[in-house]
Amino acid sequence: MDEGIVSPPVLRRIGEKSNSLFAPLSTLLEIRKNRFLVRNLVRREVRGRYRNAGLGYAWAIIEPALLALVYWFLFIMLSGNPDKLYAVWVLIGVIVWSCFSKSLNAATNSLTKNVRTIHLVYFPRSIFPVSCVGANIVVTLMSCMIILPIIFVYDMPITVHLIWIPVGVFMAGFMALGLGMMMAPFNCVSGDIEHFIRFITRAGFFVSPVMWTAEMAMERGAWGGAALWNPMVVPITMVRHGLEGKAVDLPNGIIMASIAVSITLYLIGTMVFSRYERGAVKYL
Amino acid sequence: MKKTAIQLNDISLHFPKQRNPLAIALDFIRKNDRKFTALKDVNIEIKQGEVVGIIGRNGSGKSTLLRVISGIYPPDTGEVHAAGDISLLAGLGTGFSGHQTGRENALLYGSILGHNEDEMRQKLDEIIDFSELGEFIDEPLRTYSAGMKARLGLAVASAIHPHILLIDEVLGVGDPNFKEKSKKKILSMVKGASTVVIVSHSFGLMTDICDRVILLHHGEVINDGPPQESIKKYYEIAGE
Repeated sequence: MDEGIVSPPVLRRIGEKSNSLFAPLSTLLEIRKNRFLVRNLVRREVRGRYRNAGLGYAWAIIEPALLALVYWFLFIMLSGNPDKLYAVWVLIGVIVWSCFSKSLNAATNSLTKNVRTIHLVYFPRSIFPVSCVGANIVVTLMSCMIILPIIFVYDMPITVHLIWIPVGVFMAGFMALGLGMMMAPFNCVSGDIEHFIRFITRAGFFVSPVMWTAEMAMERGAWGGAALWNPMVVPITMVRHGLEGKAVDLPNGIIMASIAVSITLYLIGTMVFSRYERGAVKYL
Repeated sequence: MKKTAIQLNDISLHFPKQRNPLAIALDFIRKNDRKFTALKDVNIEIKQGEVVGIIGRNGSGKSTLLRVISGIYPPDTGEVHAAGDISLLAGLGTGFSGHQTGRENALLYGSILGHNEDEMRQKLDEIIDFSELGEFIDEPLRTYSAGMKARLGLAVASAIHPHILLIDEVLGVGDPNFKEKSKKKILSMVKGASTVVIVSHSFGLMTDICDRVILLHHGEVINDGPPQESIKKYYEIAGE
């Protein structure tokens, strides 16, 4: 910065609006340029979540494990005894689904929650949703540590396909980022968005393979086949299959569709965000 | 002839009054503009090296003007031009997290203010030194007193050396001892920065350090001239 004073700075326009069409790319550049800030914000978020807990970060594992236990019990009660690994599949479903739903909620609320910061400093606002989602991905990866004892207990193979576990988690977060960035500016204007998103995450829980698996859906004929087109089927199944030691084993069309949806959500999300974020902060 | 550091041309800024989406849609259809005008046709030019004060009653648009210059609010009409890095000093310690140590918070706040990692690591010792926190720097922030937080905030904020410094009422934090020190630090920042815009209610300070004082009233520039002149006008308005 000091060198700048030597060569006299030139007059430039403040707050000039770049074309929203370039937003998908400029968002990436902004993250790269502000990576130290993103890292610090992610750290603040992760630390803050387990602040006063005696068990601290262990809650990242305990919470999904307890939830999975409840769902497993419920399911056994409703439908008799399925696959012996069923509890594990539910656990993974819960972990990946919460990554998506928590990221989506956090990204949607990222502008409204940071009013103070927005009013006092200027930096690219896309940093807010990105760091919220980043924090949720980090927490989810910590939750995934529970997979280690599972591999040991169920004597599962250790293969290169375990790499699909973080990939699936990342994909779930990435989808939430696109959708959340689309919603965040409107959430500043009206609280209705927050309620709508809460509904989406609750309803989505049942239509996504959290308590059921893609294999179970495939046995159920046309309706089950239709359920597979839910874009969240791929990331969740990817993590499950990765643990089983295989690449995601679903029809190609469904995998492609899911990837296309994630990318489209990101493209639209960043464009909408950059178009409306500036007007939206006036409502804060 | 000195170069221009900040130029505001016909700046107007409105805040929306409606939050309800239905009401917004209705207003849009009826072409009904219900807005609050925060700044109205503001034209200001500030030269490099100038120290300019902004005064006005509460709600006259002083802070909003600084936010427009720093890019927080895009103006509805008009253009803002500025030369060099701008940094807004307002509400010390934005984004502080109580669960992290003073050291971590210094890095966090520094990055929020726009420093990269290398700059921060380089300045960290100087920051810790100025904050006078001693061993507390590695304790969680929630154990700090308000004065300690303010000290850390100022220490980080004053480590920046921008071309244009915007100050929004940050003087007078902490105990009397530190107040003096912080005032000195801010004055030295004012001397160090090439261009300064300062919002304050402390007219004594304004008279001392400002080359020019601008009086805002209901978002309009009422007077732009020597400190004494603007302050006199302020009392005329305030007494109305």
